[in-house]
Amino acid sequence: MLKLAFYGKGGIGKSTTVSNIALAFAEKGMKVVQIGCDPKADSTSLLLRGGKVTPVLELIRKGGVFQLSDISAVGDKGVICVESGGPAPGVGCAGRGIIAALETLEKMGAFKEWQPDVVLYDVLGDVVCGGFSMPMRNGCADWVYILTSGENMAIHAAANIAMAVGNFGRRGYAKLGGFILNKRNVKNELAKVEELASDFDSSITGVLEWSSLVQDSEERKECLLSAFPESPEADSYRRLAEAVLENNCRK
Amino acid sequence: MKVVSSVISIHSSDTAGVCSSLYELGGLTVVHDASGCNSTYATHDEPRWYDRGSRTCISGLTETDMILGNDERFIDSVVDGAKEFPGCRFIAVCGSPMPMMVGTDFDALGAEIEKRTHIDVLALHTNGIKSYLDGVNQALCAFAEKFCCENLPKNPRKVNILGATPLDFSINGQVESIREFLTENGFEINSCWSMGSSFEELTRAGEAGVNLLISSSAKKLALYFEERFGIPYVAGVPIGKVFGKKCVNALKAAAESGSSSLLCLSERRVGTQAAVIGETLWSSSLCCALQLERGIDAHVLNPLEKEFAFIKEGELDVIGENAVAEAFAKVSAVYADPLYKPIVPEGTVFVPVPHEAFSGRCFRRDMRSLCGQNFEKGI
Repeated sequence: MLKLAFYGKGGIGKSTTVSNIALAFAEKGMKVVQIGCDPKADSTSLLLRGGKVTPVLELIRKGGVFQLSDISAVGDKGVICVESGGPAPGVGCAGRGIIAALETLEKMGAFKEWQPDVVLYDVLGDVVCGGFSMPMRNGCADWVYILTSGENMAIHAAANIAMAVGNFGRRGYAKLGGFILNKRNVKNELAKVEELASDFDSSITGVLEWSSLVQDSEERKECLLSAFPESPEADSYRRLAEAVLENNCRK
Repeated sequence: MKVVSSVISIHSSDTAGVCSSLYELGGLTVVHDASGCNSTYATHDEPRWYDRGSRTCISGLTETDMILGNDERFIDSVVDGAKEFPGCRFIAVCGSPMPMMVGTDFDALGAEIEKRTHIDVLALHTNGIKSYLDGVNQALCAFAEKFCCENLPKNPRKVNILGATPLDFSINGQVESIREFLTENGFEINSCWSMGSSFEELTRAGEAGVNLLISSSAKKLALYFEERFGIPYVAGVPIGKVFGKKCVNALKAAAESGSSSLLCLSERRVGTQAAVIGETLWSSSLCCALQLERGIDAHVLNPLEKEFAFIKEGELDVIGENAVAEAFAKVSAVYADPLYKPIVPEGTVFVPVPHEAFSGRCFRRDMRSLCGQNFEKGI
């Protein structure tokens, strides 16, 4: 089982990218689980064509017994969709919520039951506290991929995340798999992100060009791989998924 | 507010369970918590504190440590503590509510401490909110996984006693009387988890032909030994002559057949006359003795975690004072720790059976061993 965590600045396109990668893996016949680690619980909405899955923490809040089928939904191409959920905005602790949700999945034997080939953790924003590092802990993800554009704030956030991954290295946490450049057509964008990757002895795993097709497919409440499967953009996601698999074999 | 308790006490926490179960085993046990919490443990949960040395410490967690995620200070403190403790057999680290809230990764911290000290570390996942049953179960299983030897020759007459901590049996001779009772009935005590046995004795637990489980605080350990070494267990405290004899026979049968027995459940019916509340394996065993020797039909009320409970169908989990009081109102006699007495209805017979994990040292001198024939005079 290959387990990957995706981090990056808020709004950089993590959920869109992760959902399309999930479909690219599923197209190859792999069984995929995508876990959204964000109180907004919207990581998997495109895979579910605008539909929703009940977040784990919502059921924990209600109390009582619940089953794996209550906290998961099957999206496009059989991808199993899970959302951690979290507290209402402004109260509670979102980071602790992620820990509680992932611990619940483990206690319920989710992966033993589902037997996935790939698990994708789509993690909210930056590693601002212990809870957001949970998906990269020993037993969760094997590799961390960081999404960034060439915008300074995105690069700054990506550097912070890469630093956290490095600091946690001696604890046996997930290793840095690489950077994913999600282009915003900023000046010298590729060079800036190459420099960032090199600063962390890493590399760019894939480049996604800016495309209005991404927005078009989101308006249709679909992943790009579902809405425009023959497009060059869809092939970019497939190449990225392939590169991630190759990375795993090589490293 | 259903689970609020305004009159009765609460049970000792999981951290006390960890400290209590590892107390005599020659390790350094560190609870990651603010200083001050150690006095609760030392004063109320650990009767051995003033008579018998042990390396049980609190990390002295501060607000700043928590806010800044200052794990290094904790690691450094534990490493320094281990250096001051020559011959330290192991280090156990466990957490309290604040580390739980910020998601402190004790597995990772334990691995770093192990790397720096070259001493085996037990990383335990307590949060100070669960009961002592969880802590004891975790600590004993972690100890067994790490240290118990493989491929030892089996002896069907050797028995391990599982679940002996002062939290359930105090230090007033109850565990000793169980040991004597088993010895008098032809068994050899292989190890006692974990009072009165050395680190080395526990590592040789695999030699036993059978385990006597005397508290639900070692339920997971009994299942672990059954799976790893194929040692069957008998669940029951030998309270009273009749039930005690049944325990002896069940131990012999289990050693011979290899099959475990939930004796404290199978040897009784659920009665409505009286209620026994407390740790459920002990309470269940008392119910057996009451039925077999006094003709009193009693049932067990479980005030602790459901996952560890030894109760029969029709018996209740009673979480919170209201649920306990409602259950007490339905019976004519209650067997319980004295701190339950204020919520027992007037006119209901109250029989005090003090439980250290509920009332600490308050009623220690009133505790009696009920093992074998002691039952007649003890209750």
